[in-house]
Amino acid sequence: MIRLAPQRIRAGMRAQTWIWSYLAVFVIWLVITAVSGRGLVGTMEAALGIVPFLILVSIGQMFIITLGNGHIDLSIPYVMTLAAFVAAKLMYGPGGSIWIGFLVAMGCGLAVAVINLVGIVILAIPPIVATLAAGLLAASAGFVEAGSFSAAASPAVRNFVVADLAGVSVLAIACIALSIVAALVLSRTRYGRSVQAIGQNVRAATLAGVPVLWVIVGAYVVSAVLAALSGVLLGAFTGTSLGLGDPYLLTSIAVVVLGGSLIAGGSSNVQGIWGGALFLTLIITLLNVLHLNVAVQDIVEGVVIIAVLSMVGNKVEA
Amino acid sequence: MMMKRPKRLAPVTMIGSQRLGVRQPPNVVLRQRLGELGWRESFRRALPALAFVGLLGWAVDLRPAAFSYTGLTLLLSAAVPLALAAVSQMFIIMLGDIDLGIGYFVGVTNVVAAVVLPRHPVAGCGLLALFVVGYMVQGALVEIRKIPAIIVTLGASFVWLGAGLLLLPIPGGKEPTWLGSIYAAQPPVLPLPILIAVILAIVTYGISFGLPYSSVMRGAGGNALAVQRSGWSLLRVRVTIYGLAGVFGVLAGIAVTGVTASGDVNASSNYTLLAIAAVILGGGEFSGGLAVPVGTVLGAFTISLVGSVLALLNVSSNYQTGAQGLILLLVLAGRAVTRRRTS
Repeated sequence: MIRLAPQRIRAGMRAQTWIWSYLAVFVIWLVITAVSGRGLVGTMEAALGIVPFLILVSIGQMFIITLGNGHIDLSIPYVMTLAAFVAAKLMYGPGGSIWIGFLVAMGCGLAVAVINLVGIVILAIPPIVATLAAGLLAASAGFVEAGSFSAAASPAVRNFVVADLAGVSVLAIACIALSIVAALVLSRTRYGRSVQAIGQNVRAATLAGVPVLWVIVGAYVVSAVLAALSGVLLGAFTGTSLGLGDPYLLTSIAVVVLGGSLIAGGSSNVQGIWGGALFLTLIITLLNVLHLNVAVQDIVEGVVIIAVLSMVGNKVEA
Repeated sequence: MMMKRPKRLAPVTMIGSQRLGVRQPPNVVLRQRLGELGWRESFRRALPALAFVGLLGWAVDLRPAAFSYTGLTLLLSAAVPLALAAVSQMFIIMLGDIDLGIGYFVGVTNVVAAVVLPRHPVAGCGLLALFVVGYMVQGALVEIRKIPAIIVTLGASFVWLGAGLLLLPIPGGKEPTWLGSIYAAQPPVLPLPILIAVILAIVTYGISFGLPYSSVMRGAGGNALAVQRSGWSLLRVRVTIYGLAGVFGVLAGIAVTGVTASGDVNASSNYTLLAIAAVILGGGEFSGGLAVPVGTVLGAFTISLVGSVLALLNVSSNYQTGAQGLILLLVLAGRAVTRRRTS
């Protein structure tokens, strides 16, 4: 494929964004170490322990945002919560089965993806609203599940989540592997290229023969399944609760954009997602370490995200 | 050096917008409109009113006592805050943006009205003014840094939530006395909520269509480039509209305090989606450029009635959230079906 000069320039500019995020990660890492006294390695290990949940949903969000044309998935937090409850319930006790729990949770994600797609593809509803509405349906289902809930998190899943290999979280390593796969899919496979093509110019992509409909279907399915997976793992880690996934809505979008993927679509940046996710996770860790009031943490998080995005700007083509 | 702007705007045809900016006498406009519209489009325009009447009929059918002065007041009083929030959202959607923070914004203004206003009215007003400025800052960021409104407002929602929790960690507070007396008022003929709705619709209509600046504001949503090339500052437009949205958001929060007589930052969190639903139900378009003042107010009242009907049907509150999502999908499905086939 011919790499056009403007594309290379833009790619260069975007590369700066994710480099900045890694620099920022480094700076905050030092600050936390200074304040918490846990040591460089300990801080990073702790961060790596909790960043996978954000990485999983961010990868899914990235696929969707790269589709451009207003595509975004706002149902992610509700899918996470629903999947967490469903999985925990099915995995509980001697009659429970981990695999069935996982499968049904993925199925819930799939169901929400179907609703998203019905809204976006069939009814031509803007994705912001379609996914928000679908998310509310999932939230309702989550409320119903939570109401009839009397199970504890599965110990086996929890052990997997907290397991570590020489200090580094196994889950983080698995996520790195998944990120590499995602990066390869986006850059080397026809599907991934189609996603980017649609984001850059959907009309040209259609004329070029890209199966736009199926690519969109695939992206929303991927996002929902990853969100469900993240929800199940998070639920096993912290215990299921309503609002489990709520923080992940803003942070998943912020991670994708901070990482250098264009919000307008057409370009994705997987290594940037790690930079962005680590950055946000470390910010939250710093706020925790400083023992700030939860309310103040919320404010700081919102301000930081807006401030960083304002500084970075959005490399939108004129 | 800036050119002096004419007080009356020259007629501007906006590409992509459904409205011409040409002023014509109202009766001519009305006849033109009714002639142009087919049954499909008329149905679409009448949808909010039809939905409202239909739901009101259903509610009265479930509880006949509702169709009285006090009955209607009780049934519709909770709709007023949502109508105000929906108007706020309408202005943002008119620009082609979306406001995902209105829910918690109404929550934090509710908290301020319930906690700060009763005891320190001046400080409270200052805080509310600061919040409106906060909205204007969001608008400036969207315009200057080209950050999508969805992210800015979503980030701002965290700020509102945190601020609300700081001021009032657990629900409490009380309404200021002057607000209480307003809400206890019993105007003749029309129940208070309906009176407020009528005033709100008139005021919003005036802002959206009556001011010289109105067509600039709507134009910025329909065709920003054209407006900019005509010499108007898009930044100023955006900041003004976001400021307006902030003002109506503040009013919505005060209204919540009046209705619930307490403060709770989380109580209005579902207003975000409900406000969007109200604007869409009222005929608004996400692409922007369209102001639908009357439709929005009607849409908000309709959606509020849905909640009441669900409660009257004894539907569990668990399902209410899902019902709201479903309604939004149905409304948009209906619009998609009746959409004019444009290329």
